[in-house]
Amino acid sequence: MSDPQSTTSYDQNPCGIHPYGGMNQRAVHKSAVVVSHEPMALNTFRLRMTCPELARQIVPGQFFMVRLPGLSDPLLGRPFALFNVFYDANGEPTDVDFGYVVIGKMTHLLSQCQPGDELEIWGPLGNGFPLPDGRPLVLVAGGIGQTPFLAVAREALRLQKYGDPVRNIEATPSSVTLCYGVRSSGYLAGLDDFTLSGLDMQIATDDGSRGHKGFVTQLLAKILDEQSDKPVVYCCGPEPMMQAVAELTASRETPCWLSLETPMACGFGACFSCVIRVKMNDRDWDYRRVCVEGPVFPAERLAW
Amino acid sequence: MPELDVELNRLKLKNPILVASGTFGYAREMQAYTDFSRLGGIVPKTVTPLPRPGNPPPRTVETSAGLLNSIGLDNDGLDVFLEKHLDYLCGLGTALIVNIAAKNIDEFRTMAERLAPESRIAALELNISCPNVSGGVDMGSDPQLTEAVVKAVREACPHPIIAKLTPNVTSVPTIAAAAAAGGADAVALINTVQGMAVDWRRRKPRLGGILGGLSGPAIKPVALRIVYQVARAVSIPIIGIGGIQSIDDVMDFLVVGASAVQIGTANFYNPTLATQLVDELDRCLEAEKCQRVQDVIGTLQADGPVPACNR
Repeated sequence: MSDPQSTTSYDQNPCGIHPYGGMNQRAVHKSAVVVSHEPMALNTFRLRMTCPELARQIVPGQFFMVRLPGLSDPLLGRPFALFNVFYDANGEPTDVDFGYVVIGKMTHLLSQCQPGDELEIWGPLGNGFPLPDGRPLVLVAGGIGQTPFLAVAREALRLQKYGDPVRNIEATPSSVTLCYGVRSSGYLAGLDDFTLSGLDMQIATDDGSRGHKGFVTQLLAKILDEQSDKPVVYCCGPEPMMQAVAELTASRETPCWLSLETPMACGFGACFSCVIRVKMNDRDWDYRRVCVEGPVFPAERLAW
Repeated sequence: MPELDVELNRLKLKNPILVASGTFGYAREMQAYTDFSRLGGIVPKTVTPLPRPGNPPPRTVETSAGLLNSIGLDNDGLDVFLEKHLDYLCGLGTALIVNIAAKNIDEFRTMAERLAPESRIAALELNISCPNVSGGVDMGSDPQLTEAVVKAVREACPHPIIAKLTPNVTSVPTIAAAAAAGGADAVALINTVQGMAVDWRRRKPRLGGILGGLSGPAIKPVALRIVYQVARAVSIPIIGIGGIQSIDDVMDFLVVGASAVQIGTANFYNPTLATQLVDELDRCLEAEKCQRVQDVIGTLQADGPVPACNR
C-alpha cells in the first residue's frame, strides 16, 4: 500500500482500507504527446506517451486517466493501468505506456490516434500493489488484466525501479510466476516483454491453442498445492476470475491482492461512481471507491 | 482589472465561479489539481442527517455528451461531515457552501440548527431536487413545500440560503418564486435532468438505480433556457449550472441572467478547469471592457415574441 504518511490525514477506518489511501496529492493533469502506438495482440494495442511528471512518480499497479481532447462524445476519461515507464538518454523517466483492448467508442477512437497526437492525461492514481517481499510472488492475469504485471514483475526481479522517491524492495521474492490466461492464443499480448530472466510464465487458453487448456485458476491451484513456501498472490482480470482466485487463495490461507476495475467518471475520488462492497467487519459492508481506496484491495475484504 | 466579486443578497463571493455539489468530493480529492483560494466558492457533496450507503453500482454511465448518474447521495452523514470535513473545508481560503438534503421539513430544520453556530459557513444550499433519493417527499417539485422548507431553514440559521432546483417540473419559475417567497437568497439552476439508459440486448437498465440524472454538455441548452425563464420571473439572484466547460459557456449563463455559475461534470474530465475559468473570466471581461461582472449579468437582448411558457 502507499505510504500512509504521504496521504491526507484522515482516520484509519475499521476495515484497514484507508479512505484516501490511494489519493495522490502530487497527481498531475497534462497534455501528453503520443510517441508510439502499435498492435499488441488481436484487437489490442499499446500506446506510449510522454509525460515526465507522471512517469517519475508512478508505481506498479497505479493507473492514470486518458481523455481524447476537444471532444464532448466521448466526454470522460478512461482508466488505464501502467504497463511500463521509459527513460531518456540521461536515465530520467519521461514516458509511460499502457495496453488496451478496443471495446467501445472511446477505445475505437483511441486506436486511430497517431504518434504526435496529443491526449489529456491525469494521474498517477490509486494505491498500487504492495511492495514485494521475500515470499514467492504469483501474478494471476486474465485477458487485458495482465497489463499491471509487467511493472510489478520488473520491480520484483530488480530489473527496474519506480516512484519518486525511488522505492527499493527489501527482499527479492524467492520466485516470481506469471499465470496468464486468455481466450485464445491470438489474445496473448506482450509476451516478449514478459520474457524476463527469473520470471516463470505459465499460459492458459480456453481453447488450448497455447499452454494449458482451461482456466488460469487451474494453474494457480497447482502452484498453491505444490509450492512449499506460501506465496503472495496478486491478481487482475475479469470479475468472475478474480472471485475464483479469491476463493482459491482463501481456501489455501494464502494472502491475495486484487486490482479491480469498475466504471469510473473521474479517477480521483470526486464522483463516487466506482464503488465496490468492502467488508467493514463480520456483519457489515460499505461501498468504497475503487479509484482512491484501491484499485488494489486485500481479497478477503471484498464482499462480492 | 475588472472586479470579479458578486453579491447574491447576503452571500458575497470573490468571483462567480463555483464548483457544484457532487462533482468536487469533499475538496480533498481535488487538492492536486486546484488552487481552492482562487475559486468563488466550493459546494461539497450533499450531506444528509444520517449516513447513506448510496445506490447499487453501476452508478454512472456515459451517454452522448453527457453523464447519467445514480449515486444516491452516498455520504457519511452530518456528524462525520462536521467532525472530519468541516475544518478542512473552512481552511481553503474560499467560500464554503454546505449542501444539505433531508427527507422532510423537520429534518432540514434540524440540520440547519446544527449548522447555525458554524459562522465559517458562507451559505447553505438546499438540495430539494436530487432525482436519486427515494423515500422522501420530492419537495422541489411542489411550490408550497419549497416555500415551507426554505422558510424553516431561514428561521433556523443565520446563513444565506440557496435553493437548488430540479428541472424535472412543469414550471421552474413557479418553484423559484416559491423559494424566493420563503426567503431564499438565491436559486441554483439546474440539478440533473432525469434520464435513463438501457442495454436492450440484455433487457437491462444500465444504472443500478434504473433511473438517473443527466448532466454535462448535453443539458446546457436546457439549463440556459431555464435560467432565462427564471431570471424573467423572479428578482432573486440565480446561480447557473449545466454543462459548463468553457468561458463562453460561463458568459452565456451570465448574459441570460445568472449572477454566478457552478462547474459540475466538467470537474470529472478536466479537474483544472474551474481555476482556469477564473483567469479566463478576468481576461474576457477586460476584453469586453466591463468593469464588473454585474455589467454583463442579464444583458441578453432578446427581441421578438415573449416565449409562450415564460412562467
